[in-house]
Amino acid sequence: MLAQIFQDALFSAIAAIGFSAISNPPRRSYPFTALIAATGHSLRFVIMQPEWGGIHIVVATALASFVIGLLAVFFSGRSNVPPETYLFPSLLPMVPGIFAYKAFGGLAMCLFRASETTFNHYFYLFASNGMMAFFILLSMAVGAIIPIFMFKRISFQATRR
Amino acid sequence: MTTTTSDPTPRQLCDFLAEYASCLFGSGATCIRLEKNVTRMAERAGMAVQLSILPRHIHVSVRDRAAGDCATQLVTTAERPVSFDINTRLSRLSWDYADGKIDFVGMMGRFREIVASPGSNPWAVLVLASLANAAFCRLFGGDFVAMAVVFVATLAGFSLKQTMAERHIDVRLIFVVCSFVSAVLAASDGLFSLGSTPDIALGTSILYLVPGIPFINSFSDMLDRHYICAFGRMMNAVVLTACLSIGLCCGMMLMKVGMF
Repeated sequence: MLAQIFQDALFSAIAAIGFSAISNPPRRSYPFTALIAATGHSLRFVIMQPEWGGIHIVVATALASFVIGLLAVFFSGRSNVPPETYLFPSLLPMVPGIFAYKAFGGLAMCLFRASETTFNHYFYLFASNGMMAFFILLSMAVGAIIPIFMFKRISFQATRR
Repeated sequence: MTTTTSDPTPRQLCDFLAEYASCLFGSGATCIRLEKNVTRMAERAGMAVQLSILPRHIHVSVRDRAAGDCATQLVTTAERPVSFDINTRLSRLSWDYADGKIDFVGMMGRFREIVASPGSNPWAVLVLASLANAAFCRLFGGDFVAMAVVFVATLAGFSLKQTMAERHIDVRLIFVVCSFVSAVLAASDGLFSLGSTPDIALGTSILYLVPGIPFINSFSDMLDRHYICAFGRMMNAVVLTACLSIGLCCGMMLMKVGMF
């Protein structure tokens, strides 16, 4: 279990650093990005385990994103970088990519299936995966942004010298 | 009214703020940051400012509190790559001016320097993004073969994205072509029976294209009640996601990869 948590944290940190590089952040932000992403994603991993509460993925994502938002605000003050810099790379490892992919796949298969039974099956796949992807995205974005609005003073004075 | 170099007229300040807001918006800043930065700079100059932020334009109106003179300017938002480094430095510039550490002329000079500064090393970004996508594949349960396939698929797709962006090709076309190339390469995992998780390799291979910053900024603007701008950013993200899906579907059809 511990090894799994560590592995989860490590790969989310690598993913966060790489994806953060795409949006040209200041160099000093990289270690914080890795730390925030690793904490957020492993927190979600832990609270979704049956022995640790088995929280539903949407709620778990909202909670983990909220923690990511709080950490982003906290570290923005220390690193003199706007907290938004940390959000996207830290949230990205939680993007419901596979759900979205299956939803689009289901939709495509619906279009090319004539029989009612197969259509219903693929429509179910489209709707269930699509809803999941949508609500995970919603809980991610709103969960992470709320702390920035809660602590406006810290968030918008982070770049002050 | 006599004007010194460190004391801008409403016209000068308005022109500068319009250009500043356009660049800050183009670098991926949210509406709330735009308003706060611009307002603090205008306050320092003893002026009141109003911003109207639309998805592709920004309207700036400045009024001198003492003399009552007004100036207004409408600018198109800058088409720039997202850069949190520029976002950070422009935000710091606004604080330096507001705190009196720099005068108006000095601020304009620093602004030009910041805007002209080069981005990150494209090679480093290419390798980091490819490693990131491979790590992503692992997070979604892919095996080591899938990770290697995703690494190569991202390397090819992302370098193509950089080359096409340099040639100023339409971003939507870039998304279709790059996701197509990555999907075709990632399909090799299943096609040659390389690993045991080919569907995860395929699903992850195009995730480096996910337009996350427009999505997140859109929600931030929505919470700040900038609904038109939020809708604009959301539409932008949705269109890019649709382009990405078209590329993926075409790649899968070409390689005759079934969905389930």
